[in-house]
Amino acid sequence: MEVQKSKNFIEKSFDEKLVFDDILEYLDSNITDVLKKISKDSKENIEEIRLRIGYPLLVYANGQDYFINYNGKLKKNAENSFVVNNENIKKTFNMISNYSIYAFQEEIKKGFITIKGGHRVGVAGKVIYGVNGLETIKNISSLNIRIAREKKGISDAIMEYLINESNSIYHTLIVSPPQCGKTTLLRDLIRNISNGIPELKFKGLKVGVVDERSEIASVYNGQPQKDVGIRTDILDGCQKYDGIILLIRSMSPSIVATDELGGSRDIKAIHEALKAGVKILSTVHGEGIEDIKTKPNLKEIINERIFQRIIILDNSKGVGTISDIVDGKTLQTIFKETRSKDVIIKNIRKYNDNYIM
Amino acid sequence: MLLLKILGSIMIIISCSLIGYFYGTRYSKRQRNLIVFQNCISLLETEIIYSATPIPEALESVYKKGNKNVSFVFRDIKDYLLSDKNHSVFDSFVYVTECLKDKLYFKDEDVEIFLSLGRVIGSSDRYDQQKYFKLIHTQLKNQQIEADEARKKNEKMYKSLGVMMGLAITIILL
Repeated sequence: MEVQKSKNFIEKSFDEKLVFDDILEYLDSNITDVLKKISKDSKENIEEIRLRIGYPLLVYANGQDYFINYNGKLKKNAENSFVVNNENIKKTFNMISNYSIYAFQEEIKKGFITIKGGHRVGVAGKVIYGVNGLETIKNISSLNIRIAREKKGISDAIMEYLINESNSIYHTLIVSPPQCGKTTLLRDLIRNISNGIPELKFKGLKVGVVDERSEIASVYNGQPQKDVGIRTDILDGCQKYDGIILLIRSMSPSIVATDELGGSRDIKAIHEALKAGVKILSTVHGEGIEDIKTKPNLKEIINERIFQRIIILDNSKGVGTISDIVDGKTLQTIFKETRSKDVIIKNIRKYNDNYIM
Repeated sequence: MLLLKILGSIMIIISCSLIGYFYGTRYSKRQRNLIVFQNCISLLETEIIYSATPIPEALESVYKKGNKNVSFVFRDIKDYLLSDKNHSVFDSFVYVTECLKDKLYFKDEDVEIFLSLGRVIGSSDRYDQQKYFKLIHTQLKNQQIEADEARKKNEKMYKSLGVMMGLAITIILL
């Protein structure tokens, strides 16, 4: 275990270095010069880079903000820190949009652009409305670069709860508060289901992903930037209802996966998927089953007992702790075996150690 | 002695004719290049308006699909743009202006039209970009018509002028 861990760590830290350097390619040269000097250890922990006109450059790491001085030192006070100007933002935005606003007009309308590597850049500025609603954002004043980090393998230990006898999976819902690794877990489940798991004698299944906010697979130029498995088809930027219908019609998936259910049309789409005999894998914002039962549209599907497995995440032992797995029919906990629970927590801790803290 | 005179005269006539010829062909080359250049702009328009390809890839694609005699300009723009983070799209367009004048025989007005595209390309949505392309097309069409007339008027004149000058010089010297 120890050997494996350290080996894993070396591999990943090598990866992480590349991840940060990938992002530097998209930043203005002044900012790159400063960020380049950050020590390697700190680089690995940075989750967000924030640019605001006239304010200090901030990075978010280890759960708090840091200022950066001209020598690339992370500091807690603003003295001598690098201040972002209009030109920095303009150039960075140009590079992020590849000098081509027209190519990203839909993304800009949604407020973020996905760049190579699956990192997302949030945009804020002056919003322009047109006949068809929000048209574009001009005078960009803030950019928020969120560094995407894959956590492959976090779902390995819970796969056994989701697989049924006929080499398929149960309808599964992940319930989690924000920032608890909901999408990360979903992505890894998709990867496992799509690739198959020989140890569990589970053959891979065709998965259709409706990636409305480009968070799951982070498609860039038609290529998924995250590993979502070999039998996965992705509809990028597509609304859930349209996407689910489209996928069932065109790609004959065994499983449809989508993020963040909530709207009434989403529920309609799920009923359509059930009619077509497709399994559903999805996530929802919420603290637990009791909590989602109070939400208008979700109440319905919980009461209909559509989902056969409900995975509940929380933050109690670090991001992405699996606190419970519930049988959707009986609403009884099936995630009782302390042994596997320990394994999972250990697993998560291992990943937390490596990636987050 | 006579042989030397004849040889000298022939050389003068040939060189003057050649000067006239090359001066004259500038007009036909400019006109031909303008036509090919318009095709390239059309290719660029397709890349941008219909496939929403980002500028660097769009330029590369124009280079590959277009007539290489002219479309190399677009590759040069792309290379310059990507070579340094501080280069803006407009800078890259400016970078090739000398090349447009020297190698494609474009006039200042032609270059100015091209630069006006560089000022706006990529800065707005597809609908808006379409407007600029329409404008550029009309302007280039006008330039092409103008180049056509200039060619008709001047090409022959410069060519004959070259020969005439050669003859005149020989007569004077003889």
